[in-house]
Amino acid sequence: MNATLEGKVYPDATFTVEPERVNLFRAAIGEELAIVPPTFATAAEFTVMPFIVGDAELGLDFTRVVHAEQEYEWYRRVRMGEALTVRSRIASIRQKARNGFLTIETEVLDRDGRLVVLARATMIERGT
Amino acid sequence: MSGLRPRFEDLFVGYVIPGRTTHILRNQIKTYADASGDQNPLHQDDDFARAVGFPGVIAHGMLTMGELAHCLTDWLGDPAALVRLKVQFRAPVFVDDVIVAEGRVKSLDLKARTAVLDVWVSLKRDGNTEYPIRKGEAVASFAER
Repeated sequence: MNATLEGKVYPDATFTVEPERVNLFRAAIGEELAIVPPTFATAAEFTVMPFIVGDAELGLDFTRVVHAEQEYEWYRRVRMGEALTVRSRIASIRQKARNGFLTIETEVLDRDGRLVVLARATMIERGT
Repeated sequence: MSGLRPRFEDLFVGYVIPGRTTHILRNQIKTYADASGDQNPLHQDDDFARAVGFPGVIAHGMLTMGELAHCLTDWLGDPAALVRLKVQFRAPVFVDDVIVAEGRVKSLDLKARTAVLDVWVSLKRDGNTEYPIRKGEAVASFAER
């Protein structure tokens, strides 16, 4: 993993909260209420995540990666049908013993640029 | 879902949140992959999972976290009352595992009307208790909105 990429910001993505997608997510976690589950934010995160884990410049070995930690801060409820902007950056890259730790911070913003959800994902690339 | 929202005044340190038990199925993991967009083959392809050291596909950590959040929003009666959730993924969840999401009140902020919750997800395997999520922490807000 290329530690010099700490701070790299990835291009913004647009994520629309589509009812069909929300309903599929509700089915996956057994949510019977007609709400947007708070952790549906994961779907927004994953509009950018593949570009990070697949970033050749970063050089992550996907076969050795495990998801170690996840954090969400919710600033308001996500609304059905709204268009959100997803902005991810590499918050930190650390090496501890033989393992690499990658923390990705993602801001999910509304059309007024206000923060809706803040997500932090930490991946471990296990040493060989 | 009880339909009864907890009242902040009724909470105390050690208050136990009703648990949520889920039997994890293969098609549920597939549904989660499609819903979340996380198409990592570790969660869909047994051969891939075995090649990286697991006996078969494992559930997404985020699916387990989703079940934990579901436990919390069911109790809170309002998804917007959950303002923060942080977890560590500590053990894999396999197809057919039965996971239990639980929590209890760790501390209360009477002025802000928020509760900090200890939260975790456990399962029984071969007579042992394992923790797919341990040392999780959540913050719930009971402030007027």
